[in-house]
Amino acid sequence: MEETKEGAVVIKLSGRIDSGNAPAAEENIRRTLEGKGTCPVVLDAEELAYISSAGLRVLLHLKKTNPELSIVNVSSDVYEILEMTGFTEMMTVEKAYRVVSVEGCEEIGRGANGTIYRIDQDNVVKVYNNADALQDIRHEREVARLALILGIPTAISYDVVRVGNSYGSVFELLNASSFSKILATKPEKMDWCVREYVKMLKKIHGTVVPAGKLPDMKETVLSWARFMQPYLPGDLGKKLLSMVEAVPHDDHMIHGDYHTKNLELQNDEVLLIDMDTLAVGHPVFELASMYNSFVGYSELDHEVIKAFQGFDFETGKTFWRKSLAAYLGTGNEKKLSEVEDKARIVGYTRMIRRSIRRGGLEDERAKRSIDFWKEKLIGLLEKYDTLLFTRNELEIEAIPENLPSVESFVEKHLEENDCPPKAQMQIGLAVEEIFINIASYAYAPEKGNATVRVEVSGDPITVIITFIDNGIPYDPLAKEDPDVTLSAEEREIGGLGIFITKKTMDDVSYEYRDGQNILRIKKQM
Amino acid sequence: MTDVPLIDLHMHTTVSDGTDTPEEILARVKRAGIGVFSVTDHDAFKSGVVIRELLGKDDPCFILGAEFSCKDEEGQYHILGYGFDPDSDPVRSVVETGHRYRMEKVGERLDYLKRAYGFTFPAEEIDGLYALDNPGKPHIASLMVEHGYASTIEEAIKRYINGIRFTEKYVRPENAIAGILGSGGIPVLAHPAYGSGDQIILGEEMERRLQKLISFGLRGLEAYYSGFTARLRSGMLRLAEQYGLYVTAGSDYHGSNKLIELADTGLESADALPEGLARFLKDVRKEDHDQI
Repeated sequence: MEETKEGAVVIKLSGRIDSGNAPAAEENIRRTLEGKGTCPVVLDAEELAYISSAGLRVLLHLKKTNPELSIVNVSSDVYEILEMTGFTEMMTVEKAYRVVSVEGCEEIGRGANGTIYRIDQDNVVKVYNNADALQDIRHEREVARLALILGIPTAISYDVVRVGNSYGSVFELLNASSFSKILATKPEKMDWCVREYVKMLKKIHGTVVPAGKLPDMKETVLSWARFMQPYLPGDLGKKLLSMVEAVPHDDHMIHGDYHTKNLELQNDEVLLIDMDTLAVGHPVFELASMYNSFVGYSELDHEVIKAFQGFDFETGKTFWRKSLAAYLGTGNEKKLSEVEDKARIVGYTRMIRRSIRRGGLEDERAKRSIDFWKEKLIGLLEKYDTLLFTRNELEIEAIPENLPSVESFVEKHLEENDCPPKAQMQIGLAVEEIFINIASYAYAPEKGNATVRVEVSGDPITVIITFIDNGIPYDPLAKEDPDVTLSAEEREIGGLGIFITKKTMDDVSYEYRDGQNILRIKKQM
Repeated sequence: MTDVPLIDLHMHTTVSDGTDTPEEILARVKRAGIGVFSVTDHDAFKSGVVIRELLGKDDPCFILGAEFSCKDEEGQYHILGYGFDPDSDPVRSVVETGHRYRMEKVGERLDYLKRAYGFTFPAEEIDGLYALDNPGKPHIASLMVEHGYASTIEEAIKRYINGIRFTEKYVRPENAIAGILGSGGIPVLAHPAYGSGDQIILGEEMERRLQKLISFGLRGLEAYYSGFTARLRSGMLRLAEQYGLYVTAGSDYHGSNKLIELADTGLESADALPEGLARFLKDVRKEDHDQI
């Protein structure tokens, strides 16, 4: 007999329990529980081969004296009996776990809490790092199910198995290969990978999570920032903390460990895996972990990424920058570096904390990394006052009601870059004209999304706004300009807006490519 | 819930394998506040006859009963009989046949143990065995343990006594049912989902068994039973309804032998007296005619 952490008495059952020995078994249990009142009881059925109805009666009696009764490690045969007879409905019954070996299996993914191996052609197993992983497995299963309900394509585990001293959850993953593998073996697929990777990232970040369903990443990052206090000079610790505090609450989903080993291509479908780190929060927290995966961890020793992702440091860095550009919707190097720096602040904080907690200060090599990251972090904290940034791209449903959102999105970018008021007004009119056009005609009578991308570059200030929709091909510029010499009554309705746009902008261009209408306006100050 | 009296129609005394004498069990039934009860010893109703004599005016309502062990080519069955006339021939002949078989089997088992393993017992102990109302495997087994031939009763039965099997010397279910009916009683299948007590019989197999027994004249199912989960109970109630059978409730109390308490039948979970059980109580011949 032993006791669990929760104070439950564990009793082992073995062999067969039938009419021959049920009274003895019951007597044994009773003796074990003598004087323990109604304590919770866990029956360990690992060695129980069969239970007859006489044995079931023993369970039934026990349930009456000790209502908190559960049976664990139940074989499939015994489970079937318990299920048929309704015992699984009246007490917790946990099946025994199949034992699976991952020796010699291909490692196809690795996350913060475990490693994923392919065990056969159709199945993979995620082996958790910690021995007491059942709770983690349950958690991951729950969040994966939540993500699926919210529209994120993911694989949900269908079985829990024993792997060595730990547990694993088994998923079906047919003919799948990770994006890391694709990048490592088919470098020519880089741009395709970036596109799909960012598409999924936007989908994750565009998903609103009902309150309380997922942990808030901000809380976690706050705890990292608090940890860092004694390790940063002067007021920089405080500054770091206040910068994290200033990040507004965000109820959109973030993956938390979004790198290319956690994205799988399965029969032309892209699947997100390793869901245990799912949270809600501002995208800067996601970018931080992405930066670490592709650059940060390997920044000092470039070989690190090779062992982890299978591709080299340059590939990782290129993939990161291209993905960041596609995610933000800009190729502006200054903007990219600024957002990257903000991600690095959170990223370095995380890595330094992790390394210190793992005894890194006592280890010469790890200490070199810590000093390296710390120096960079200090420089960044001196340079920036906020972790916030805005993406240059907004994807939004193309309906007239969304015009104010589009307008304020564009305005924000123009104001940030000190765009003169007159130009702002002209751009505003053009944006209104074009967005309302898309909202009214592109998908009618159906609905669809429009993407608005704003890029501002300096000296002289140049603004480029791109509108993209997947609606019917339509070139607004092909229409003849209206004859403005005619009086209002004589003119044809419409067409005036695009005419004004053409007049006030320095350049307006249209193209239809890959099923998309792409309309670009350019204004130079 | 308040309207359902405590009912226990399945319990054993020292006449079979229980540990309470008929007098003791009556006292216990009264103390437990049970309103309707029946004593159902294996293949015997001697205890019922005793209790009938002991009943006073304000005592609980009593139904004469017995639990018959039956066997045929397809398995074993425990058939409860209620409200039969203990002086009438049909049910008496079932008991007598059963008793005769039982005694013959004791002799053959003892012969077998001597022949196969050289186990012998003093004559007075063998006489004591035959003097029991219902000697069986456990009694022989406990003698074996006493004499050091086996270390536990379980070992004695499984390893030695079960070495000899009898296919012929059993009361067949159709005979038990016919005997009960012939003496004005109601035959009911005991703990249906548990077969003859220690199996698990569900689904089609259960239904096949039941159809066969109904064709012999079975009239009821012990749907409320101490060893049943809510699921089993509702499954049995469904079958009773489907085949228009009476419903009974029993604990299978054996005294200190098993840890079952009187009146533990699952009936306490019912909101009202189940229709099949109300019908049974109305139709069965009771020793005490106070209406429930």
